[in-house]
Amino acid sequence: MHVIKPSVRGQSLDPQGVETVSPLRHVQSAAHGDAEGPVRSLYVHIPFCSHKCHYCDFYSIVDTQDRQEAFVTRLMAELSALAPLAKGSPLRTIFVGGGTPSLLRVDLWTRLLTSLSEQFDLSEIQLQAPETEFTVECNPESVTPELFDRLVAGGVTRVSMGAQSFHEDTLKRLERLHTPGAVSEAIEAARAAGIGHRSVDLIYAVPGQTTPMWRNDLETALSLPIDHVSAYNLTYEPNTAMTARLARAEFTPTAEEIEIEMFELARDLTTAAGFERYEVSNYARVGAASRHNLAYWRQDQWLAAGPSASGHAAGYRWKNTPRLDSYLGFSDEGLSMVHDVETPDARRALAERLMTGMRLAEGVEADRARADADAICPGLSDELDRVAAEHAASGRLTERRDGTASRWVLTDSGVLFADGVASDFIAAVL
Amino acid sequence: MSDAPLQIRNFSIIAHIDHGKSTLADRLLQLTKAVSEREAKEQLLDSMDLERERGITIKASAVTVMHEHKGQPFMLNFIDTPGHVDFGYEVSRALKACEGALLVVDAAQGVEAQTVVNAYLAVDQDLEIIPVLNKIDLPAARPDEIAEEVEQVLGLPAEDCIKCSAKTGEGIQELLDAVCEKFPPPREPVMKQTRALIFDAIYDDYRGVVLYCRVFDGRLKVGDKIRMMQMERTFQLTELGKYTPKPTKVKEVGAGEACYVIASIKNLGEVRVGDTITIDHDPAAEPLEGYEPPRQMVFCDFYPATTTEKKGGDFEDMREAVEKLALNDSSFTYQAVHSEALGFGFRCGFLGLLHMDIIQERLEREFDLEIVQTAPTVSYRAIIRGKGGEHVEVEVNNPADLPDMGSVEQIMEPICKLEIMLPKDRIGDVMKLCMDRRGIFKQQHFVSEAREMITFEMPLAELIYDFYDKLKGITSGYGTMDYEIMEFRPDTLVKVDVLINGEPVEALSLITHKLKAEQRGRALLTKLKKQIDRHQFEIPLQAAIGGKIIARETIKAFRKDVTAKCYGGDVSRKRKLLEKQKKGKERMKNVGSVNIPQEAFMAVLDTGE
Repeated sequence: MHVIKPSVRGQSLDPQGVETVSPLRHVQSAAHGDAEGPVRSLYVHIPFCSHKCHYCDFYSIVDTQDRQEAFVTRLMAELSALAPLAKGSPLRTIFVGGGTPSLLRVDLWTRLLTSLSEQFDLSEIQLQAPETEFTVECNPESVTPELFDRLVAGGVTRVSMGAQSFHEDTLKRLERLHTPGAVSEAIEAARAAGIGHRSVDLIYAVPGQTTPMWRNDLETALSLPIDHVSAYNLTYEPNTAMTARLARAEFTPTAEEIEIEMFELARDLTTAAGFERYEVSNYARVGAASRHNLAYWRQDQWLAAGPSASGHAAGYRWKNTPRLDSYLGFSDEGLSMVHDVETPDARRALAERLMTGMRLAEGVEADRARADADAICPGLSDELDRVAAEHAASGRLTERRDGTASRWVLTDSGVLFADGVASDFIAAVL
Repeated sequence: MSDAPLQIRNFSIIAHIDHGKSTLADRLLQLTKAVSEREAKEQLLDSMDLERERGITIKASAVTVMHEHKGQPFMLNFIDTPGHVDFGYEVSRALKACEGALLVVDAAQGVEAQTVVNAYLAVDQDLEIIPVLNKIDLPAARPDEIAEEVEQVLGLPAEDCIKCSAKTGEGIQELLDAVCEKFPPPREPVMKQTRALIFDAIYDDYRGVVLYCRVFDGRLKVGDKIRMMQMERTFQLTELGKYTPKPTKVKEVGAGEACYVIASIKNLGEVRVGDTITIDHDPAAEPLEGYEPPRQMVFCDFYPATTTEKKGGDFEDMREAVEKLALNDSSFTYQAVHSEALGFGFRCGFLGLLHMDIIQERLEREFDLEIVQTAPTVSYRAIIRGKGGEHVEVEVNNPADLPDMGSVEQIMEPICKLEIMLPKDRIGDVMKLCMDRRGIFKQQHFVSEAREMITFEMPLAELIYDFYDKLKGITSGYGTMDYEIMEFRPDTLVKVDVLINGEPVEALSLITHKLKAEQRGRALLTKLKKQIDRHQFEIPLQAAIGGKIIARETIKAFRKDVTAKCYGGDVSRKRKLLEKQKKGKERMKNVGSVNIPQEAFMAVLDTGE
């Protein structure tokens, strides 16, 4: 638990009774400075789930105490504390994730959406101006036409549907509760309600899933009225029930060769359907890439509300307390208790830009990265060029000329080695 | 004290670990009133923490106490000995300063292999031996049966055994009487010139080198200009004294006595244990019979577990620590080495495996160093055919130093005489273990109804792997062993080279018997395969003898290295993970563009059975 002792203003009590102020005050004062531009993105975390899936490492709880109301009240206070960081500028992107945001009661959604429009300038989002997005994550089993209507009225422009698969066996293996048919119904309902952008999440390399099954999942998804697909290779995250089962050899994980085959199949089928891969696991029709997620990958600023939500502003990275109890029990004039915070650091920022940028089809602006590197330490750009040249030689990276600017971009085969390339860049920078 | 002439007795206690040597020593000191009750609670003679923890005594020291027996004054010089197989050499040199030895046997556990080996050492020195059965207070004690064992195995009459309990004090008075009555007095001086044998030397941070001496002829006095007869160096004797057991200065020491000597000696390199001290202006013509210098039988490399930030600095820290350790352990040798894979480090020589463990632990504990230790090897001798066809014998303490097998005529390895004491019903399995390790059966000896002693000749190289653990396993912990190095013997030994991605890695090469080469090579590759992460290319692992591949494994290339999800909250975590991976890689050694973790170099340690 990261706690900074009282230093700025007001005090409040955390559940252990220790006097603290949220370190977010440092972010606040830094972001208030003229040097920092307004924050234009916001992430909101809804921690409730109807079931804790065994592969998932996101923070969520199965709510048995009906704390939704208390949560929304607390969240609204947080939003009002964060709002000044937008400096009156209209927000461009909002992403409500979870957990399962669609599990939040409709009346509470109403309060949340009202609060958002009161605290922030949502004008650009509501006009659906270019580069704007308001996404809500949904699970097919918990959406209703009533909810969609409510979301549309609140300015939501996009839903991301947790489909995962259209095969019962695969869904069962993932402990997902919905039936294969529920996904298309939910997508159809969203469309009918007027939600303009629709995405589905799929997971591949699930134990027991074959390449033909995966092909079928992709084809089914692509037959739906959607403009975006996220296709994730199943990851055995540490500290999940599924990883523990893997360690106990309760099942056989998918072979690497098959994973690669499935990755390539996703790329090929989405491309054939008119989608483009714009990130390691994300495919979109032209103009339909997730603006909010691009903000993460391009190292823009964003605010964070809700337990376990992470933010990035004024060079700080922080993460709210992950526990609902401590989130509800602490408020420093609305600000959350913070679990982890990283203070501004030019090397770290550059390392992160290279890391996330390498995951994007657009790559990293090479000249800007070089300039930033030399500003940290003259000659550091040579190190970046050395790493770039090394990976260019092995065919994983190219330097793409784009008018006068140039970009470092991973090749089609290089994408599968994004971590290795990133780790070499990070090592060169740090 | 009466006016009767002072009687002197010089003696040692030799025992198997845990048979109660230190407690017995303290109890004896206590009875002579040299030590208070409270002090007796601690084992006075062991001074290092590590020794106490391991229940073994590493450095010999000498304690002098005054005692009255039947109205006669006695000076008892008690010379402590280390208690483990590795220190047999030190045991024998301590014994050289004595006329008698108490051979302590646990009355519940009986004669152990180590007891036998130590008893042989004492017999070799023509010492009078008093067998002592300790721990008779234990419920499981069987003093009469064990006395029979002593007679059976060691040939010492059962009725000569003194039964005692160092814990309760029972029988200690009787033991002290026996020390005075049975042990012979020191031999008469044979010349008027001074001759004192250095039987031990330690380094003390405050006083420099402290010598432990036994005066055989003449006298030593403070202020004497002394001469080391072999080293041909002179020193000014500044302090003489005895441990009673607290250090007590004396002005002079006469023939037959033991004492410590301080003579402004800066480091242990200036003296040699086994050397004879004489007086510079009136030297003896001949030195006393000394000892062979200690022989290092087990070798391994220590490298600092280097991180790039501290490169070089770690090595300097290690050099300082190694030098300091060598100052107070002359049986530990070192030599700076450079390995392609592990950088700068030291090749160290030890008396045995325990000695190696102790040094390694002391480096880590007392000097706070992180160490990468390579697999131990024994010291080989090889006969090499020179360019002109002449034969040259070379010592090979590191398989990497062995030239190409093409020019090697013969390799000889140290052979030990191994004594194993074991329960009768396990004899078959133990025999098989010994045979598998190229042991040659020599003798089987009846110990008691339940136990046998067997004697094997076995290559030390076979012993230094997990032989002892295997023996303990087979005998449910009841088997004990001890060994002495006998000689070097030729055998069909070969050097197995290991190639990673086509490049030979010297630090992984090993010398083994030809018949076992393939099995060892294969086992090593299997281990390496587990230790080395997959790379973006396929890595062949090969074991070869003189260019001929005898085993092969392949580490498949990984074909992807990418995280599926990396959203806002994952950025910090992911970055830290990649940083950590990179740091891990930096700690690895790069051979032929393959990153090899330092642990992999330990893979040769296991026999892989």
